[in-house]
Amino acid sequence: MDLSESLKMAVKTLTANKLRSSLTMLGIIIGNASVIAMVGIGEGAQRFVNDQLQSLGPNVLFIAPGNRETRELGGLDIPKTLVVADATAIAQQVPAVVAVAPENTTRGLVTFRNRNTNTSIVGTSPDFPKVRSFEVAQGRFLSDLDLRRSAQVVVLGATLAERLFENDLPLGQQVRIQGTSFEVIGVMATKGSNLGLDYDDAVLIPITTLSRRIVGRTSPYGIEVSFISVSAIDQASMSTAEFQITNLLRLRHNITGEDDFFIQSQDTLLTIANTITGALTLMLAAIASISLLVGGIGIMNIMLVSVRERTQEIGLRKAIGASQQDILVQFMIEAVILSVAGGTVGTALGLSGIILVSALSPFEAGVSVAAIAIAVTVSGGIGLFFGVFPARQAARLDPIVALRSA
Amino acid sequence: MAALIDLNHICKVYGSGNTEVRALWDVSLTIDPGEYCAIMGPSGSGKSTAMNVIGCLDKPTSGDYYLDGENVATLEESTLAHVRNRKIGFVFQQFHLLPQLTAIENVSLPMVYAGVSAADRQARATEALERVGLAERLQNRPNQLSGGQQQRVAIARAIVNQPLLLLADEPTGALDSQTTQDVMAIFDELNQAGITVVMVTHEAEVARLSRRVIWFGDGQVLHNNLAPEELGHVASMV
Repeated sequence: MDLSESLKMAVKTLTANKLRSSLTMLGIIIGNASVIAMVGIGEGAQRFVNDQLQSLGPNVLFIAPGNRETRELGGLDIPKTLVVADATAIAQQVPAVVAVAPENTTRGLVTFRNRNTNTSIVGTSPDFPKVRSFEVAQGRFLSDLDLRRSAQVVVLGATLAERLFENDLPLGQQVRIQGTSFEVIGVMATKGSNLGLDYDDAVLIPITTLSRRIVGRTSPYGIEVSFISVSAIDQASMSTAEFQITNLLRLRHNITGEDDFFIQSQDTLLTIANTITGALTLMLAAIASISLLVGGIGIMNIMLVSVRERTQEIGLRKAIGASQQDILVQFMIEAVILSVAGGTVGTALGLSGIILVSALSPFEAGVSVAAIAIAVTVSGGIGLFFGVFPARQAARLDPIVALRSA
Repeated sequence: MAALIDLNHICKVYGSGNTEVRALWDVSLTIDPGEYCAIMGPSGSGKSTAMNVIGCLDKPTSGDYYLDGENVATLEESTLAHVRNRKIGFVFQQFHLLPQLTAIENVSLPMVYAGVSAADRQARATEALERVGLAERLQNRPNQLSGGQQQRVAIARAIVNQPLLLLADEPTGALDSQTTQDVMAIFDELNQAGITVVMVTHEAEVARLSRRVIWFGDGQVLHNNLAPEELGHVASMV
């Protein structure tokens, strides 16, 4: 008997018992829908994190104080062994570097007239927009002169400017930061949060001013920074830059043993983030797979009942010339049809779930065609796997016994 | 003329040791092409087992069985399925039609397993149903047919692959006397057309319509070739 005949016969049998067939499929539908949805959401999260990291800017290296050990001990009391002078030295002495932006951040109250908000106060240098791919929407950014003079000037993040000024024009206005008066010289374009800090909801002031007027403290070695971001000439010179910076800082810090700083590139951050989100996706998929497995067992269960119920039919088919293989194929096909149909419906359901999530959450959830193909293939495979046992039982029935059974 | 069915010292034993049951013991029997036989005997006499062996549904424990010159006692399952499909047509007491299929689909089923094309199946199934007088009922499902009509569909299914042998197991057991007559008339017609008919029955009046009665008892053939007229005599004898 050829396969198309078997297919027709299986469809006929399954449609003769619609309720049962659809209930059997339900397990696979739910399993497949959850796998697709989970993988989709996981991939979406991964893409979201990637976009975030990519928005940090190309060819960027981050130099942060402390070594692995001190960082692992906890984030709050990392000794700020990096100073603005380190950043200046890197800018002047490392040829592979085109721009350097030291950053130090604190939180404080920003006031305009009767409106105030508690927000991040970022001290940085004129190279900041260049290194981190930020753009100024209105006015200008901090200048070298501002930095040298510790000028009381401020550039506002887009969200913050809107909240604080509403309909007023911010440029030229005076705001108070922790009680000190600053002139607004610019407003940044919207960027979105990155590295855990929402720069749209922050104020940017010269790092020297931050140190003198806001933090009110300088270390004996110079002005502390939380980290220095550095832009290399191009992708190829990243490792050269890293090497040169490492040497320079070791020299400046008189290091003979362990470094008191570490350098991370956007690439390594991406790798770390991808490892984490990848593991997360895998975990979600693994949990969802369990429901797929349960669905498969449901199919096996129903197929076993079906073999029981159709014992006479099997006996008759054998008597009129069906071989064991014909019966085996017939029941296998029924199981595979159930699971593939369930898998297809489940995939559609999962995709609608993904669309829903995309609409309701910040990240664009999407699922690759490969993931869908795998899910449908796997559900078909589950049909095969869980169909084998009942089908073998059917195929091995003794026709005489089968025909006699009531 | 070579025998169509040639059983040589066939034994069929179930179980072993104390629980051993000798369903058939040293049965030798030949049936020629074109014969019309009834197998009779009390229950437990081995007539059903003999039927199963003849129908290639069951393999003998020992002995040889030549069907149409081929020793089928040693064939493996898949080959036996092929033999059943091509050489034997079955009619059962309970009809065994598939409820989800129409009459014509039920009749087509053996041809599906024989690999006949869809168009040929349609034509041959229609022809077979016409032959049993059900030309008007092609698209009816079994639950829309009377018992006699269902059995006629089953007979159409049995003959659609042009078998050498028609095996009927209590074909009239579930029918009233009028439909019994109709069904027996069809058997007679098919036999006239050259098909060998072997049926198991416990009804003497049905057996009387055959041309040869084989009487089983205790797993053996007690009477190999009774004329149907002698039946009353034997029945009282057992």
